[in-house]
Order: sequence, then structure tokens, then C-alpha cells
Amino acid sequence: MEATQATPIKYDMEVVRWFTIAAAIYAVVGTLIGVWIASELAWPFMNFDIPYITFGRLRPLHTNAVIFAFGGCVLMSTGYYMVQRTGATKLWSNGLAWFTFWGWNLIIVLAVVTLPLGITQGKEYAELAWPIDIMIAVVWLSFGLNHIMTVAIRKTSHIYVSNWFTMGMIVMITDLHVVNSLAIPVSLTQSYSIYSGVQDAMIQWWYGHNAVGFYLTGGFLGIMYYFVPKQVGRPVFSYRLSVLHFWALTFGYVWLGAHHLQYTALPDWTGSLGAAVSLAMIIPSWGGAMNGMMTLSGAWDKLRTDYIMRFLVVSLAFYAMSTFEGPVMSIKTVNALSHYTDWTVGHVHSGALGWVAMVGYGAIYHMIKKLYGVEKMYSESLVNTHFWLATIGTVIYIVAMWVSGIMQGLMWRDYDEYGALTHTFVESVSEMHPYYAMRVIGGVIFHLGTWIALYNIVMTVRQAIAVRGVNAVPANA
Amino acid sequence: MDVVVMSANDWIGVFFSLVAFIGMAAVYFMVFRPANKDMFESQRSMALDDEGHINMGEKR
Repeated sequence: MEATQATPIKYDMEVVRWFTIAAAIYAVVGTLIGVWIASELAWPFMNFDIPYITFGRLRPLHTNAVIFAFGGCVLMSTGYYMVQRTGATKLWSNGLAWFTFWGWNLIIVLAVVTLPLGITQGKEYAELAWPIDIMIAVVWLSFGLNHIMTVAIRKTSHIYVSNWFTMGMIVMITDLHVVNSLAIPVSLTQSYSIYSGVQDAMIQWWYGHNAVGFYLTGGFLGIMYYFVPKQVGRPVFSYRLSVLHFWALTFGYVWLGAHHLQYTALPDWTGSLGAAVSLAMIIPSWGGAMNGMMTLSGAWDKLRTDYIMRFLVVSLAFYAMSTFEGPVMSIKTVNALSHYTDWTVGHVHSGALGWVAMVGYGAIYHMIKKLYGVEKMYSESLVNTHFWLATIGTVIYIVAMWVSGIMQGLMWRDYDEYGALTHTFVESVSEMHPYYAMRVIGGVIFHLGTWIALYNIVMTVRQAIAVRGVNAVPANA
Repeated sequence: MDVVVMSANDWIGVFFSLVAFIGMAAVYFMVFRPANKDMFESQRSMALDDEGHINMGEKR
């Protein structure tokens, strides 16, 4: 069942174009809210005593915007793009793909309305009210059904590893979202989780860490395994390693959530198990990162001129760093210092900005050129500018949070010869100010890059349309 | 380990732990078995093979 090259294959790419451009817009919005709430932490007057824009309400809007709006649109655009091209077939249902596009965007609009109003379930990364949770399940399952059925009708004999990563994400995120969101509604906007106490905490972090593992890691690894070889023009270094990477991640990740709950009411062995498996996960994670890096063997010179490649390579460096840092932080002795501090925030952002956003932008730039049939972006130098702003912004952000977090941990547990705490909590807050200001600077730099990317993408699309005419079909794009 | 006092949840946990362990061992064996090398590596360039004769579909 090999793909025939005799007949042109007509793909359903219009929905991919919309998802891709939506992702670029949501990156601007999500990071703007992030910069704003970071500013509120440095200069609290910036909430202007308006309840709708206080940190507690905008923070979930920021996380939902960057994870589900930006990240979701990247995952769905690349998911639909890769499954068609590696399967040499169009989508199983183009109509269902459009349903996922409009449904996902409606959910994002509802998040923008409800979260500032304070309508929340109070579960991290799962704040949205129960009716929206049901909508998420329906839209996500429609994406999953369409993707899996497209794999089923493929014209190639093999299912490329990227599609395995995407399907693993689809199955696990469905499981995680449904189980974690089980609640008893008492009104249209209010509900109570069916879990309580330590079970609630365990379910929440089983969800929370696996959302990172299967959505922000697995889904984006699928992107890496397709777009790195495409961009560098060389086959993946080791396909065997990529298969091992997929299965090790799938078998291993589900055990890790308990490492978020060290020194809590959770049984001690559970946290130890979470930490042990976290450490074991360094092996496949680094194997995968090396696999991506080694794909450039013999083509490293391309980094001098291929600015999109820079995004992809730096994303792999951050992936390797984050997947080492995370397991180290899960070790109980380290966790005793790092937990509840800004170190965790820095770790999350080295993954989110350095890995997810970088590999996501690498894929977006690659796809925009293909989808609109152009050889180059409107401005290649702006891609390079974006790359440096993203890299420098990320580094400033995470360095600020490392210093701030370690200082917090040391201040909180420092005690004098009588056993009394040396520092009050508010002293530690006061000491954080320079680093919170530094975080704002890093965030602003990263945010500027998203505006440049959006401008470059819009101009590339406008230019492509102007050259071809609105209804033109890109030939052999 | 006191097997007698293990609950149904404990046994379910043991079962899935063993499934994950055996499954992972099986994957390592399958992937690194020299006889399977060519089968896997023959798919290395699959992402590069989708460039010919592609029509991206009409814009609406």
C-alpha cells in the first residue's frame, strides 16, 4: 500500500491555514496577558483595584491562552497537516475539521469571558466551568476521531512516528480531561469536584503533569519528529530511537504526577515513585533530544542561514535542559528547597517558552511557506530577529526565576539558633522585587517577538495572495 | 509484603505496574533487536517523501 506519485493528492489544508494563523494571534494575546500579570506581581498597583484584571483572575486566562489557545491551535494545525502528508490522503472529514476549528475557538472566547468574571473550578490548568469542560471533550474527541480515521484511511503502509505521538496525546488527554473534570454541577457556572482531600490533589496532579507530558511534550515531539527532518532536508537520525522515545514516554509519564505532592498528605512512597520514574525518564527524553540534534549531522552549516532551523534546534536544547531539570526538582531533597518557589515557575517557562513555543514557531514558519506556496517568508531577517528576541527573552525570564526561587527557598527555611525563622514571609516578597522586574523585561522581549512573527506571517500571506490571486491554487506546494 | 491484606485497588496497581514493566522491556527488545533494524530504519525518510505531486486544496 505505497503512496502513488502518479496522481496529485489533494489535501484539506484550508483549515490548517486558519489554525496556523490563529496560533500566531493567540501567541500575541497569551504572552501579553503574561507580561501584564508579571507586571502586577512586580508593581501590584497595576491591577488598579479592578477585580476583572487582578492576578488571580488573569493568571488562569494567561495559562489557558498560551496552553490551549496557542498550543492547541499549533497541535491541531500540525496534526491535520502531518497526518495528511505522511498518509498521502486528505482528511477523513473536512467538515469535522472545521467543527474543531470553530468549536475550539468558541471555547477560547468563553474562557476569555468567564475567567475574568471569576467563574472557575479552581483546578490548575482545568479552571473552566463544567459546561465548557463538556464542550472541550466534544471538540477534542472530534479532533481525535478525525485524526485517527485519517490514519485509518491512509495510503501509506507505515504510520509515521509523529502520528503515533499525536494519537498518544489524543487518547491520554481525553482520559485526563474527563477523569479530572468529573464534578457535580449545582448551577450553570458552579460545580463541585467528585474528589476531595488528598484524592483530589492526586487526581489534579495526575492530570496536571500528564497534560505537560502528553500535550506539551508528546504532541510537540510529534511536531519535532516531522518538522526537524523536513526543515533540514535529512532523514531522522534514528527511527528506532524515535519509536523507543514514544513508547518510553507513553509508559513512563503517567507515573510522574505524584512528584508535585512531596511532603504532603499523599503517602510518602507515592512521591518517591513519582521521583524515581521522573529520573528514569531522563534517558528517553535525552535520547529523543539527541535524536533530533543528530538529524542535523552533516548539515550544521544550515544554521548560519536557516533561521527556522534555529528555532527547532534551540527548542531541542531547552527540551533537554527542562527534562533534566524537572527530574532533579522532583528529588525530595531538592524539592524541599524548590517547591512553592519561583524556581518551579522558571522551570515551567523554560519548557513553555524554550521548548513548546520555539518548536511551535519553527513548525508555523515551515508550514506558512508550504501552505501559501512561497519560497521565503516576507522577511527572513525578521524571522532571525524573532528568534533572538525569543531566545534572549526566555533566558532572562528563567534566570530571574532561578535566582528568585532559590533565594525564596533559602530564606523560607532559614532559622536561628533558637529554631525561630530568620526571615518573615514579607521580607522574602520584598527581596523578590528586582527579579520580578527582570522577569517582566524578559517577558516583554519574548512578547515583542510574537508581534514580529505575526506581522511577518500576515505579510507573507498577503504577498502570496497578491501574487497568485485570491482563488489561486498553490501548485505542488 | 502482606498479600492477604491487599485490596482490589492494590492488585489493579500491581497488574498495571507489571504490564508497564513487561511492555517496556518488550519494546526495548523489539527496537534494539538487530534483525529489526532495517525494518525500522527503512521509515527514516518518510517525512521527506511527501513532497511530490501535492495539491494543497483550493482556498475558500
